Amino acid sequence: MSKRTKENTHTVIMIGAGPAALSAAIYTTREDIETMLVEKGVPGGLAAVTDWVDNYPGFPEGLAGLELAGNLQKQAERFGAVIDFGEVTALHDEGEWKRLETTLGDLYAKVVLVATGSDYKKLGIPGEVQYYARGVHYCATCDGAFYRDKRLVVVGGGNSAVQEAMFLTRFASHIDLMVRSKLRASDVLQKELQKFVDEGKITVHLATTTDEIVGDEDNKVVQVKGTDTKTSSPVKIDTDGVFVFVGLKPNSEFAGGQLETDEVGLIKTDENLMSSMKGVFVAGDIRSGATMQVASAVGEGATAALKIREYLEGHTINVQEEV
Amino acid sequence: MVKNITIFTTKTCAYCPMVKRYLAAKGLSYDEVNLDEEPQRQQEALAISGALTVPVTVVTRQDDSREVVVGYNLAKLAPAIA
Ligand SMILES: Cc1cc2nc3c(=O)[nH]c(=O)nc-3n(C[C@H](O)[C@H](O)[C@H](O)COP(=O)(O)OP(=O)(O)OC[C@H]3O[C@@H](n4cnc5c(N)ncnc54)[C@H](O)[C@@H]3O)c2cc1C
Repeated sequence: MSKRTKENTHTVIMIGAGPAALSAAIYTTREDIETMLVEKGVPGGLAAVTDWVDNYPGFPEGLAGLELAGNLQKQAERFGAVIDFGEVTALHDEGEWKRLETTLGDLYAKVVLVATGSDYKKLGIPGEVQYYARGVHYCATCDGAFYRDKRLVVVGGGNSAVQEAMFLTRFASHIDLMVRSKLRASDVLQKELQKFVDEGKITVHLATTTDEIVGDEDNKVVQVKGTDTKTSSPVKIDTDGVFVFVGLKPNSEFAGGQLETDEVGLIKTDENLMSSMKGVFVAGDIRSGATMQVASAVGEGATAALKIREYLEGHTINVQEEV
Repeated sequence: MVKNITIFTTKTCAYCPMVKRYLAAKGLSYDEVNLDEEPQRQQEALAISGALTVPVTVVTRQDDSREVVVGYNLAKLAPAIA
């Protein structure tokens, strides 16, 4: 454990730099509340790896997720937010101070905002680990371009799977969408998907589990094996690659069970967006009850920032003076 | 000492600008191969990295030894350019 110094002490530390944290940082820094964000991946979070965002208010034509992420980052940095790249691995309540163990060393803050969102879930089937990034992928905007005129399987039946399957038609000659039970994507997306189905670009396999990813002697993915759960008969689909979008896993492990969570691991808050640990606020997809949209993550970020300001009233705003 | 750096990218990859920004912040220049614009070079990216993903950063040192960094991986990229 390292000691508190001017360098490692902050008024507010935000864990993550996705839409929720970046929006919160716009508010806190604009109010002169010194704020640092710790990000383990890309600023913009899941929004940055989403091809196109059509439902973010204020952009009638929609906009690229990467552009939205870049704009949020620039706006937060314009007011003085500092983003440092590292991962928070543990959180400790030391009374007036919260201590964060991170890959950048220990950091201290009066207030912490947890805005860690979620990561893609894995299927946990044979072949998935073996062919990772060589035929098995979790990011269509990153890896789709490698499948020009190739056949692809997309696994999943929610919004992400449907959205990403449609994006991948830009590259792939044909896509098989494997859905364990039935489609859970929104009506709007299902309607859009139908157009691709009618054009013969996507085939949807409902009630089909994905059981194994099979490669050839050159270590290339060539087939996906599954089961038709209605007839129990085996399903074999020849493919050049598999993109997996079977839901998200909340990034709350770093808290080591110290923050109260719901049954799926999302962090519970009170009406002020404060977690069960005093001084630790929560916003965006990681919050129990969140609606998992950029617009709501941004709204929660703004709300959390205003609640943080209220919480800090009467405290020193620039805590480095206290060191 | 670094002799040259080549980054394989695509237009939609979020991690590609991160690598470029990191190198720029270190004062290093690089060549970029955008695989959306030059799809014929995908095989080259695959052969070098063993992975069907971007970014792939290839750092060639003065002695022509080569370090290949797959993805946005500062733990590997930082020592590669040191
Ligand atoms: C494929 C796909 C398509 C989508 N399309 C849309 C859409 O069209 N419209 C829409 O409104 N929403 C869409 N969403 C949902 C939207 O992206 C999320 O609701 C939004 O990004 C949530 O923001 P957030 O800030 O809460 O979390 P995230 O965006 O998940 O950001 C969390 C950040 O925290 C970082 N982090 C996590 N753990 C740590 C740690 N321990 N230390 C440091 N950093 C950490 C992560 O790297 C990440 O950058 C889509 C999501 C996906 C996956």
